[in-house]
Amino acid sequence: MAKPILRVENVYKKFKDTEVLKGLSLTVYEGEVVVIIGPSGTGKSTLLRCINRLTEPDSGDIYLEEQKIEPGKSNLSYIRQQIGMVFQDFNLFNHLTALQNVAVGPIKVKKMEKNKAMELAMKELERVGMAEKAGNYPAELSGGQKQRVAIARALAMDPKIMLFDEPTSALDPELIGEVLEVMKDLANAGMTMMVVSHEMGFAREAADRIVFLEDGVVAEMGSPEKIFNNPEKERTREFISKIARLNNGCKDQEVL
Amino acid sequence: MGINLSANKVLASIPYLLEGVGITLKITALALLLGTLLGIVLAIIRVYGSGVFRQFAIVYSRLIRSLPLLVILFMLYFLGSEIIDIPAFWAIILALALHTAAYQSEIFRGAIQSISKGQMEAALALGMSKYQGIFSVILPQALRRAIPYWANEATIVLKDSSLAYALGVTELMRRGEYVSARTSQPLLTYIVVGLIYLILTYAFTKSMARVESKVRIPGLER
Repeated sequence: MAKPILRVENVYKKFKDTEVLKGLSLTVYEGEVVVIIGPSGTGKSTLLRCINRLTEPDSGDIYLEEQKIEPGKSNLSYIRQQIGMVFQDFNLFNHLTALQNVAVGPIKVKKMEKNKAMELAMKELERVGMAEKAGNYPAELSGGQKQRVAIARALAMDPKIMLFDEPTSALDPELIGEVLEVMKDLANAGMTMMVVSHEMGFAREAADRIVFLEDGVVAEMGSPEKIFNNPEKERTREFISKIARLNNGCKDQEVL
Repeated sequence: MGINLSANKVLASIPYLLEGVGITLKITALALLLGTLLGIVLAIIRVYGSGVFRQFAIVYSRLIRSLPLLVILFMLYFLGSEIIDIPAFWAIILALALHTAAYQSEIFRGAIQSISKGQMEAALALGMSKYQGIFSVILPQALRRAIPYWANEATIVLKDSSLAYALGVTELMRRGEYVSARTSQPLLTYIVVGLIYLILTYAFTKSMARVESKVRIPGLER
């Protein structure tokens, strides 16, 4: 069995009176691509944000390899460097060019020499097919291009695992493909990934495991074939067919 | 004939008035330098600070903004004469700086808060400290956004520097008063003084507009 990269154990998180995560546990193994699906409000994004402590969980333990992630005790900056994060609305730094966006992490956080960081950034941009736009500012890029730069920015830190928080939800349908392609390439290259997404095509092709989150806990998980074709629970089946209908709707539009 | 003569005297005093412009600009520049630094620091504390520090920034802004500048000026000056001697020139600079810092802290606070939360989150997610996020990500964007509002506040400081006349600092306004008394032509004198302030303000506003467009982020609205 591959070694675990990330272990989430019994994590709880409450916002005001709403309990979002209710004792969630999940382990992600090296090189694995885990796609997390589930109805809105079940804590998919909260789970990702709890992992790198953008949101502080109320209780429970999270380990990156053998390091327990504990603010105050462990070095949060060091942990976060090893966890790449891609946001739904990109969050590229608006005042920096695509190249600078990718280089700024290594320069500021890893204290890498500027020339080296720029070289590295250029390589990462090439990897996501954005080298030609290296000198452009985020506001000059399309949504799909922005998200590819954002992926390059996370990759430049050489993370052990990449978290994707609905990376294609803010994109026009015709721009989704280019981002998914980059993510598939990453998956094929052996990157450990945790992806919150309802892109069923991507889940089928790239996921090793689908996790169906409902009501703050893992309701069911398994291989894409099992979850898509033969789920154990009625709720999972309902949800999958609902999403599938929506996805097909989109595809019909594209064909038209 | 007599009027013409004294009118000529006013015009002849223009070089004398212009020497005062030098002092006016010196007061304005120093007050702006100190006031802007303090304003930015207060704004950062206001948005990212906590506890006593944040409370202090809020109270400071509220207190200073409810006092007339002239009162702050006299308090500083007479505090000076009673405890440590603050020369009039520095009293006006300090008063202007403390005063404008309160207003500027509100300007910069607004600018910082207008930058989307996701920017700081992305910085933290990369492993940056909060401090690095503020200085490498938030401020470069917020300061750009603040330029037009800051420029407006700066022209107010320039004009308010005329209050220095009350302490006898021989800047533009004080010299205007001398010229007015000597020539018995107050109206003409103050028209000339007013024109000089107008030219200074206009030149400043124009050059700030140029700075604003020079540092504008390509493609970004506003």
